[in-house]
Amino acid sequence: MLSEEIAPSETKACVQCTALLNIDSKFCNSCGAKQSLSEVKVTDQWNLLKQAAIFYALYLFLCCLSQFTDAFQEISWYLVLELACVILTVSFFAINWSENKALLKWPGFSLQKLSAYCGIAMAGAFLVHYSVDWLNVTIYSQEKHLFNASRGNYYAIFLLVFFTAVTPALFEELGFRGYLLQSLLKVSDTHQAVYISAFLFAIIHLSFISLFWLIPFALFIGYVRVRENTLWYGIFFHFCFNLTACLFELLQQPK
Amino acid sequence: MDDSLTIAQPKERCASCFNEIVNDDVYCTNCGYPIKGTEHEQRVFLSQNEVNNIDYNVYNDKVKRAGNSLYYLAGFALLGAIISFFTKQDDPNVLAYTLPSLILAVLFLVLGSYSKKKPLACIVSGLVLYLIVQILLIIDNPVNIASGIIVKIIIIGYLINGIKSALELEKFKKEHNIKD
Repeated sequence: MLSEEIAPSETKACVQCTALLNIDSKFCNSCGAKQSLSEVKVTDQWNLLKQAAIFYALYLFLCCLSQFTDAFQEISWYLVLELACVILTVSFFAINWSENKALLKWPGFSLQKLSAYCGIAMAGAFLVHYSVDWLNVTIYSQEKHLFNASRGNYYAIFLLVFFTAVTPALFEELGFRGYLLQSLLKVSDTHQAVYISAFLFAIIHLSFISLFWLIPFALFIGYVRVRENTLWYGIFFHFCFNLTACLFELLQQPK
Repeated sequence: MDDSLTIAQPKERCASCFNEIVNDDVYCTNCGYPIKGTEHEQRVFLSQNEVNNIDYNVYNDKVKRAGNSLYYLAGFALLGAIISFFTKQDDPNVLAYTLPSLILAVLFLVLGSYSKKKPLACIVSGLVLYLIVQILLIIDNPVNIASGIIVKIIIIGYLINGIKSALELEKFKKEHNIKD
């Protein structure tokens, strides 16, 4: 039994016989019962990983279609793909809706914090834009642009902003920092879960050279999501980053 | 001899995990060993512990094998980078051909070297990276699906087994308070 000197705050009751135990005890000293009964089983963790793998494989399939199939370069088919991505992300996020809905709340909203995150995103986008430009010229001996067709076409500019700033910020965050990270947190410790979700997010962009900024970018948003316990700071961070990249793209359009 | 001197009594320790125990303890609070159990109960507990240790070593071996596969992949990627550098040496875009393989080699090397510390994160990342590279190679030329298929299956098998073992290993470490 516990000695009387131990403060009540350092004790816990045994899950089986309710005897008082030291907070660090892994087994009850009276009945021998294990004290961590709520732990997720390895088979459940493995099933969670398999479910996450299905989500990732389907997302990857859609990414490959949009990048390597000529038909999906047309705006109507591109819209179909975007819609498929949205349905996929929302469906997986909704699988565990009772738990995941908490991530859509915004506890302890702070305008200062939001401004700081947006500022970091814009500064990051500025750095990434110029370093990517330099890399493209050095490695491929050419500059690359997202949409050359947007020059002077307001409809195309609207689409560029919508498809590169709004939809990725909302649905990539819902999918990767929402569903995927939340599942991984049940499988592993916080650092490994954030790292895995960040790495998987980075390589799904299918550009090995861009990994130098995609991995830190995704790690940052992952830690923000875990620290703040909401998706919204990450969504705004992602939106500001992509919007800044879009604006640079538009300003640098060849005349 | 001075009568006021008292000889410190050695603290009682658990026969299984050597954790310090208190007189009243019926079970060890660290490993659950039945301190005041019958000889039979104590023997059963210790033999179960032996089995757990064997399992631990098996999981460790599988994780190690998966980590080694990541080193092999780093080697293959580096070889690819060297070959493309020497075959495209005169091409002005030689960097565009060489750099992706070089990045892959570095990534696999980093994942392999951290796979002992953070096995789950490194093996999952290594497997997904390997699968994506294979998909990109197949998109580039569908014939690539057949080339070296046995080696590919072995590598994927090692990595998948490594993920399962990493899960078991992490659970075991958590339960037995084993630090990296």
